[in-house]
Amino acid sequence: MEHLRKFGSGIRARLFWLLIIDNVIFAADWWASDKYFKLTGWQLIIPLAAVPIILVAVLPWLVARWLAKPTELISQAIMHVAPGDNQPAASPDPTNTKLGQELVATLMHNLYEFATAAEARGVKTPGLGTDFVASSLPLPLLLLNENKDIVFANEAAASYLGASKADLIGKNFYSLLDMAFPTADTLDIWLTDMKNRSATASRSWERVRLAPSDLHPLRLFDLAAYYNKDNSRHLETMLVLFDHTKSYSQDDQAVSFMALSVHELRTPLTLLRGYIEAFEDEFAGKLDPQMNDFMFKMSASAQQLTAFVNNILNVARIDDDQLVLHLHEEDWPGVIRAAANNLALRAKVRGITLEYSIAPDLPTVGVDRVSILEVINNLVDNAIKYSGQSHRIRISTRLTNEGLVETDIQDWGVGIPDNILPKLFTKFYRDHHNRAQIGGTGLGLYLSKAIVSAHGGNIWVKSKLGEGSTFSFTLVPFGQLSDAQKAGDSGITRGAHGWIKNHSLYRR
Amino acid sequence: MNPNGIKVLCVEDEHFISELYARALGKAGYDVTVEVDGQKGLELAQTDQYDIILLDLMLPNVTGIDILKVLRDPGKTPQLHAKIIITTNLEQRDEVRQDIEKQADGYLVKAEITPRELVEFLGRVKL
Repeated sequence: MEHLRKFGSGIRARLFWLLIIDNVIFAADWWASDKYFKLTGWQLIIPLAAVPIILVAVLPWLVARWLAKPTELISQAIMHVAPGDNQPAASPDPTNTKLGQELVATLMHNLYEFATAAEARGVKTPGLGTDFVASSLPLPLLLLNENKDIVFANEAAASYLGASKADLIGKNFYSLLDMAFPTADTLDIWLTDMKNRSATASRSWERVRLAPSDLHPLRLFDLAAYYNKDNSRHLETMLVLFDHTKSYSQDDQAVSFMALSVHELRTPLTLLRGYIEAFEDEFAGKLDPQMNDFMFKMSASAQQLTAFVNNILNVARIDDDQLVLHLHEEDWPGVIRAAANNLALRAKVRGITLEYSIAPDLPTVGVDRVSILEVINNLVDNAIKYSGQSHRIRISTRLTNEGLVETDIQDWGVGIPDNILPKLFTKFYRDHHNRAQIGGTGLGLYLSKAIVSAHGGNIWVKSKLGEGSTFSFTLVPFGQLSDAQKAGDSGITRGAHGWIKNHSLYRR
Repeated sequence: MNPNGIKVLCVEDEHFISELYARALGKAGYDVTVEVDGQKGLELAQTDQYDIILLDLMLPNVTGIDILKVLRDPGKTPQLHAKIIITTNLEQRDEVRQDIEKQADGYLVKAEITPRELVEFLGRVKL
């Protein structure tokens, strides 16, 4: 907001100079009248009065031209919030951008109201009329009346929509523009809601879409709306559009690629798992042990592939800041037991036995069940991969001195060299010495770390070459998760980068 | 809950998947109808003769999301007693998925459940 500061100081500086000059003229006038023309008494008053009167007549014109300059700075401030095609992208913080957009809409409305009121009082400030405010804005701006007809559109709006101002004015907004919103919470629904509620309100939407037409290409933008029920000129709604077509269409493409890839991978997986199960059903008890073993291995592989697809998806979401966890109160031993069947299957395929050592009387923990199960799966998969010749893996859980619930997964396999330990939890890292024998990409630990951190816990590993490794993570007891975070409907949401989003706040 | 006589409409364009589900559900005692086209699926659903509708999202002619909107619009579908379960392999942004879940009675990712698990899930749906 540096520009607003500059704006403020710009106006202050100019006003200051105005006052100085005013006083100088006044003083000079007095001196001249007194010493030069040697006027006294009544006669002195006339020139003294004349000067201010002249200045008052001339000054507004000077002031208007002078003061108008700093509004350039406001324009620049706006450009920071709405870069458009020519500007480099501004700070990507979405909360600030949203606020910024709503502030701009409100500011625009206030400026417009101010100019309207000034005109109504007959004050002629050339250059500061309503048209100036709206037309000089670099952002598309539309004004709607209570019937949702467009009563005003600025130049930017006209060119954005590929129409002339005349084509837009008088037309009903909804029939003219088919805007698509990413959720069911649309402008129309909000306006209908506001009609019954507030006198004024502002709101913004992200990723609003205008399908390509003969007049304009595909448009993707953020929309800020300012609603004023009792506007004297029946200008109920002001809409400001912040174009993001370039960046949003790239995002859309990235998401679509992910979504389509995942979809394509999942379809054959669904079939594989489904028909393996059908096979097992049909031939239950009729297969020799070797056939059974084949079926078993196919089933375990299909499950592993499904888990892997989910992993890639979650990593993509974390990178996109989209992974949201819902923490609920859970009995931790119960969660481990739920994971156990799945894990036992995978371990058995490699001839490994799983041992469990669960401390009694553990407090309940706050976990997102699906995600934390993935963590357990990833760590056990890891232990299985690095087991080498060993045939046992131990899962134990206990209460630490600090009152946290710690879970350890220990293997007696090949171990991990010291120089690799710090890089283990980064993306795609795998020990190149073992790469030939050990399959899989290095996503599991990266994902586990992100999920555990988002739960408020820690994850670490202790290992010795040739002796084995122990992967451990801690979870916070449910009672210790701050009361302030427990929202209306059960659970707490937490982004995978660790920041907490309260349920009700998240659903803006 | 005894599935005998419960009518299921499965709107799914992948033949292999719908065969899998029809087979498993049929064995469990459900009366299953499969429809591969979105538009026809919507029309069938609106006849209100089904107790459960398994709705895929990627469908020809009308998408599952649009079908869901129409079925939940009392102006366009005045009478519908069926429970609608979305069955999809598509991945969505959270807010889109939550939006869909609000309108449906269930949301399943096909790759994450086997046919047997689907039968168990339906057994728990209150009709």
